[in-house]
Amino acid sequence: MILYLARRAGHGLLMLFGVSILIFLLFQAAPGDFLSEMKVNSQISPDTIAKLRVQYGLDQPMPVRYWQWLKSSARGDFGYSFAYNTPTSTLLFPRARNTLLLSVPALLISWLIAVPLGVLAAGWKGRWADRLFSGGTSALLALPDVLIALLVLLIALKTGIFPVGGMTSVNAQDQGMWAWLRDLSWHMILPVAALVIGSLTIILRHVRASISEVMESSYMRAAEGHGLPRFKLLFGYALPAAANPLISLFGLSVALLLSVSLLIEVVMSWPGIGPLLLEAILARDLFVVIGAVMLSTVFLIAGNLLGDVLLYAFDPRIRRQG
Amino acid sequence: MTSGDLGLPKPEPLLRVSALSVDYDAAGGDVVRALCNLNLEIASGDSIGVLGESGSGKSSLALALMRLLPPNARVASGSIDYRGRNLTEFSPAELRAMRGAEVALISQEPALALNPVLSLGQQLADVLRVHGKFTRQDVNARCNDMLRQIGFPDPERILRAYPHELSGGQRQRVAIAQALICRPKLLIADEPFSALDAATQAELLDLLLRLKRDLGLAMLFITHNAGTLAALADNIVVMREGEAVARGTMEKLQASANEYVQGILFPEKSLANASQSEAATNSAGPLMEIRGLSKRFVQKRMLSRKQFVVQSLDGIDLVLPAGSTVAVLGRSGSGKSTLARCLAGFETPDAGEILLEGKLKGKNDGARQGPHSRVVVARKWAEVQMIFQDAATSLNPRFTARQIVAEPLEIARWKSEAERTARAMQLMEEVGLDPDWAARLAGEFSGGQRQRLALARALAAEPRLLIMDEALSGLDMPLQAQMVRLLMDLQSRHGLTYLYISHDLNFISLFAREVVVMDAGRIVERTTPKKLGQSVHPATRELVEAGERLHAPGVEAAV
Repeated sequence: MILYLARRAGHGLLMLFGVSILIFLLFQAAPGDFLSEMKVNSQISPDTIAKLRVQYGLDQPMPVRYWQWLKSSARGDFGYSFAYNTPTSTLLFPRARNTLLLSVPALLISWLIAVPLGVLAAGWKGRWADRLFSGGTSALLALPDVLIALLVLLIALKTGIFPVGGMTSVNAQDQGMWAWLRDLSWHMILPVAALVIGSLTIILRHVRASISEVMESSYMRAAEGHGLPRFKLLFGYALPAAANPLISLFGLSVALLLSVSLLIEVVMSWPGIGPLLLEAILARDLFVVIGAVMLSTVFLIAGNLLGDVLLYAFDPRIRRQG
Repeated sequence: MTSGDLGLPKPEPLLRVSALSVDYDAAGGDVVRALCNLNLEIASGDSIGVLGESGSGKSSLALALMRLLPPNARVASGSIDYRGRNLTEFSPAELRAMRGAEVALISQEPALALNPVLSLGQQLADVLRVHGKFTRQDVNARCNDMLRQIGFPDPERILRAYPHELSGGQRQRVAIAQALICRPKLLIADEPFSALDAATQAELLDLLLRLKRDLGLAMLFITHNAGTLAALADNIVVMREGEAVARGTMEKLQASANEYVQGILFPEKSLANASQSEAATNSAGPLMEIRGLSKRFVQKRMLSRKQFVVQSLDGIDLVLPAGSTVAVLGRSGSGKSTLARCLAGFETPDAGEILLEGKLKGKNDGARQGPHSRVVVARKWAEVQMIFQDAATSLNPRFTARQIVAEPLEIARWKSEAERTARAMQLMEEVGLDPDWAARLAGEFSGGQRQRLALARALAAEPRLLIMDEALSGLDMPLQAQMVRLLMDLQSRHGLTYLYISHDLNFISLFAREVVVMDAGRIVERTTPKKLGQSVHPATRELVEAGERLHAPGVEAAV
């Protein structure tokens, strides 16, 4: 088990290297850099720009810059933000925490809703409840995530119960720990809801498909032939047997949530990685972009590793192989 | 249905099936009748055998009796009465109470009857728990008892185990334990032994006989193998295409003049006449010559320098005489499938030559195929066709039978659409399939019919050489016998050459003129089927002995 996880973690590390090189190359291929905007500005002399270029190391060839970045990453700085004039890590880590604050609850809620509902839908397969359900998920699936976020915002505006965007109220920090926490969770509700709606449908459909496939297998028919009740069949027998592909989907759903999360953060002005990444891309703030993308990759790899651990815990066939 | 009504008021049979018909909705609005006007009665303690080849509706009967038919099937007419009460009147709760506790089912394919991710202890205990209230100790004691009764000396270990940790025979025992743990009155066993070897079959048969006696069990035993029924069933119903064609005791059936009944009781006997004509076909020139054929596979793992070289073929020389059959025998992993794939053109050999009628077919000296146009090459390959072991996976399930058979014709741009369809129909007829089924999807055919479909597709290319890679191994014995008869018939009509690859010796003596035995990529022995038994080579002996042990057609084997 340890060996297996270590190997998977090793693969993850290799993937991180690959991703970092790829972003470097892509950025190289894209026109312009952080200083191109300044060139247009007539108040800044070309001389200053040239000096800045040397200072930022933008005059160096790409392999050298990559090496510099690697060294800085080893120090824990992960490069330097041109726009904010600080090491990338000081920018990135609080933002990452905020993103996790949204996506981890959303992930848990999505799965907690999707699993029972998907199992029941598979159990009702072909009946009106299932048709209604399929129609509903299809409609939700067709809705773009941006639209969901905007709709949720609209609800906030119309009802006035929930705060419109942001993470904390202005004066929240001064009122003590509990008030601050209450304020934070109050702000979290809408973005988390938007995230759940955005990712739930796909997970639901997968759960339903996996369960209904298992329901047709001969061991399910055998179990039915032994007189087991419907509920037990669905949740006690079909769900564990269908868990294997679903757990793999769990790892993937982390990626799904992250991508939806970036968008929703921007729309609902949540100070997570999303707005930072968008800003950094527009400003050609190279190392912030790399840092943000790398962080997302780390989340993704962590999600998949977690999936592997769960798989090991759930499936006796994998567990007994050691 | 609650328990407690053991004292029957009148001599009502346990189960009465009257004029039962079951229909399946197939694609395209077709209705396929799986069971037709079947009558059956089982009194308590009775044992009835249902005998029939695959596709005869046996399994539909088992499912209908448990009211477990799939959603696309329905009882079209007739009724099933359990203790004088129509099964359709049972409420879901009554049905659940009946299933497992009163009537139990052992379904086909033991390996698949147990949930792969739950422990056997849980699966066994669950059956007990849904049919009554037991304390934890009670459940444990009953499970242990049942497993010991079923022949496990160490029930504790089995209860903790998962299905993949047991052998097929052990899994089947657990499935039987599951069915019997609530002491049902009637056991329905649907081909319970079909995937097991003969020794395990005999053991389980003894076990069932003992349990039947000890528990006073009534039994409906469904099988294609007459041998198992001889010892087990008082009365036998022979089924064909959903209808009961004969019924009676084994002795009565053995004396029956019905050709179908004889064929299913003695699958090998019916081939004896045909083999005479086979011997008459005389040698012609060689169709294919294989010289020094070698193929090795190199496996490399990522981030590792280590290489694993598998010498799959090592200097194979073989001549296939036109119009006759050469059998290649060998254990799995002996390289026989690689040989087939090289000859069919799926693999490029590392060295050696393959000559088709003296012309070079594939030679590997680093250069690519010669300056042939694509079409010429394709036509040359078409002269060699292959049939695979598993027809279910070698046919696209979304294709209709017509599409499957006509596909090689379409690839060859053969004549017009209408003529291709006509030819496909004709080919279907030739392999014994009803051309009316041309619009059915591949998935709607039974295993044996699918293999016929694969044969029709291979024949569409008008091959000279047909390579059969374990093509019959997936079929039950009567179907194998039918296929062999069909293949011999086609051979004499079209002058086909067969390369028959197998790991068992079934039918080889009737079928093949020459036998080569392969082991570890080499041909270790060349002989004839008649001399196979006297061979002294260890690889050959192993195959012959395994054959004697497992070869279980007809009545004699299972008793």
